[in-house]
Amino acid sequence: MPSAPGGPSGARAIRAPRPLAAELTSPRHPSLARGKAARGSRVFLLALVLATSGAIAATQRELEESLTCQCGCGLTVHSCNHLQCQSGEPMKKEIAERLAAGEDTATILAAFRARYGEKILSAPTFHGFNWFAWLTPFALLFLGALSLTRVLRRWTRETPVPAPPVATPADDALRRRLERELADLDREP
Amino acid sequence: MPEIGRLAVCLALLFAAYSVVTSLLGGVRRRPDLVRSGEHAAFAVGALVVVAAAILLRALLQHDFTLEYVAAYSSSTLPTQYTVAALWGGQKGSLLFWALMLSLFTAIVEVQNRDRNRALMPYVTATLMTIAFFFLSLLTFITDPFERLPVAAREGADLNPLLQNYWMMLHPPSLYTGYVSAAVPFAFGLAALASGQVGDQWIRTVRRWALFSWSFLTLGNLLGARWAYEVLGWGGYWAWDPVENAAFMPWLVSTAYLHSVMIQEKKDMLRVWNMVLVLLTFALTIFGTFITRSGVISSVHSFTQSGLGPFFIGFLLFAIVVSGGLLVYRLPDLRTPATIESFLSREAAFLFNNLILVGIAFAVFWGTVFPVLSEWVRGVKITVGPPFFNRVNAPLGLVLLFLTGVGPVIAWRRASPRNLRRAFTVPVLTALGAAGGLSVGGVPVGYAYFTFVLGCFALGTVGQEFWRGVRARQAMLHESAPRALSRLVSKNRRRYGGYVVHVGVISVFVAIAASNAFRIEVTQPLKRGEEMQVGKFRLRYEQITTSEDAHLSRLTAQVSVWQNGQRIAMLAPEKRFYKKPQQPTTEVAMRSTLTEDLYLVLGSYDRDSDLATIQAYVNPLVSWLWLGGIFMACGTIITMWPAAAERRATAYALGGARVPAE
Repeated sequence: MPSAPGGPSGARAIRAPRPLAAELTSPRHPSLARGKAARGSRVFLLALVLATSGAIAATQRELEESLTCQCGCGLTVHSCNHLQCQSGEPMKKEIAERLAAGEDTATILAAFRARYGEKILSAPTFHGFNWFAWLTPFALLFLGALSLTRVLRRWTRETPVPAPPVATPADDALRRRLERELADLDREP
Repeated sequence: MPEIGRLAVCLALLFAAYSVVTSLLGGVRRRPDLVRSGEHAAFAVGALVVVAAAILLRALLQHDFTLEYVAAYSSSTLPTQYTVAALWGGQKGSLLFWALMLSLFTAIVEVQNRDRNRALMPYVTATLMTIAFFFLSLLTFITDPFERLPVAAREGADLNPLLQNYWMMLHPPSLYTGYVSAAVPFAFGLAALASGQVGDQWIRTVRRWALFSWSFLTLGNLLGARWAYEVLGWGGYWAWDPVENAAFMPWLVSTAYLHSVMIQEKKDMLRVWNMVLVLLTFALTIFGTFITRSGVISSVHSFTQSGLGPFFIGFLLFAIVVSGGLLVYRLPDLRTPATIESFLSREAAFLFNNLILVGIAFAVFWGTVFPVLSEWVRGVKITVGPPFFNRVNAPLGLVLLFLTGVGPVIAWRRASPRNLRRAFTVPVLTALGAAGGLSVGGVPVGYAYFTFVLGCFALGTVGQEFWRGVRARQAMLHESAPRALSRLVSKNRRRYGGYVVHVGVISVFVAIAASNAFRIEVTQPLKRGEEMQVGKFRLRYEQITTSEDAHLSRLTAQVSVWQNGQRIAMLAPEKRFYKKPQQPTTEVAMRSTLTEDLYLVLGSYDRDSDLATIQAYVNPLVSWLWLGGIFMACGTIITMWPAAAERRATAYALGGARVPAE
């Protein structure tokens, strides 16, 4: 079976170690202290913050949620909480840059997919075999509902409908009495 | 001492095998003496496993690093409560813990049924002891918790820091309790099939066990969500991780069972379906363990992966084949004439509720295994993540919420137009009122909107039921409102307990919808004294402090929270660094109210520039998720609480002459 272009090798390069975990808590922060790069990431974060309202932020978030972080956290790029994540952070930055360059969602997702393979996408695509993923639950539910309806119809046909239930008038009488008594109660001072 | 533990496990294995064989022989040959002997062996298994677990716990508390397990999952500086939690923190311990709970539950079942269900008991004992035998053989032959290291370790590697959390003390035991106790209804179901006594006796016997299992699955899931929310620090509580899914699926099927069993109790139909649900719930608990242990499906939550997968899948197949075979064998006895008069009846509503619940369970199962399927079929690994599960399950969830409102008030058998009017006028008006209010309030029409509207509808039906019940009692019996309410509930525990559970479910739905749809997130690097705005809150980064002990070092940011120019809280998100596993974790700081959680994470800190990156989230209504859990727990307790007549009967049975077996 053909695998997605650039998949495995690209993925392995990113997958390697967990994010610079220790770095996050070390008193000195190599990644942030690294001059230009650090400033860059700060500018990027500020840009992200400034863009909290409006369509750009929504698209950014949407894209981040459409991609799976490759650091091993198992979450989407948006949810990965490793701020200096070697996988998630560059992706967030790249999404922002591509959006700024005017690329649309589909192009950006295609670019990531070409680089990492299909597993970068956080949900199956609407193509080919993946339709199975989306449609099977609904198809089975539909079939289930259909057969349940048929079975119920058969059962209701086979079940003799009893003569007008005796309970109803009694119920009614009871209810009338209840209502009367309630009304009496309300009238009482 | 550890050798005694090992010996206890081996002996327990032998006793379990003996118990299975004698119980089956006793059942088939109708030899009460053999059946009793099998039961006594089950007690012996319980006692031996208690001894083994106690010895492992003692080794943990004494930091006996000659044991591989103790050295791998604890350390000398680990706080005592987490040292206790290490008993289920690693694979070997958790398997022993599983065996412990199973054998304790078995003992309780044996005591409860020493004079009841005598035709079923040989097979119940045999089933439970077969499960125990499986776990004990893993402990004996594959993963020995009492394994000694060739050279004693000087220090332990420590418990995974993510597990060193308060909720981690509670989450696994409650989930295990739910998982393991699902074996009891399974055992009775299998016994009913094996003995041919497929009437509703077994159903009545396992009613409380099924509820017990369900309620602990509920608690386990919610406590796990709470743990993820506090520990993982990404602002959410549910990531549709395979292991989360594994805990969710049996809950769904078990919920379906609790509803459809009411139809069997009332009308003696759906015997096959209920049997299938009971068997499926158990199968899903084993499947869940398989996912956690096997590593076939990658999950961040599988803290303990190993080569145990094939054993679990083998056992799962064995359970499915045996129970499926028995089910097919007994099909003729299980068929009863079905009588349903109308689509507009509670029976039909429950059946559709079952369809949706099992449908959601299937969707979750499908999404969980689809990556494996895709790799088999196409050779391409894909990810099935939150977007898939949310999209597929959100519409199903809405239908379920609608049925949550319909089920409790629609009439049994056939709802007349009059009944429908009487039952639904108030709830529908409530829902319409809510829809109007939400529209005026500017809530966009979407899943959250419909969840709120349907939530109000369902709440309307429950509220109306309580209101009418209380008013009726007040009118007829001249009781005061509180007394009428308490008498109403105590006289119909199952019904009103169920309503309270429904209130909890509605609360959970609303919390999930609100926190997903209206979450606000802001990430910003701040210098000391700088401020940031997140929703209605203004945050000021005041200072950073560090502290250290033998176990971990902490980096704590002090952040003041301001609203309308007033300081309302001081929050302290932390980064922790655990020394032995050399692993950092995030400690979230939260300010929870009924309307929203302000949730702060210290992303990173740079000492040179004194720049702290604060991730801030405003998560609306998350508290209602936990409150929903409390409602569900209270509702279950009300439902399970024995009625006065039952209590008298039990006291009589225990104190004096024994009631004859049914």
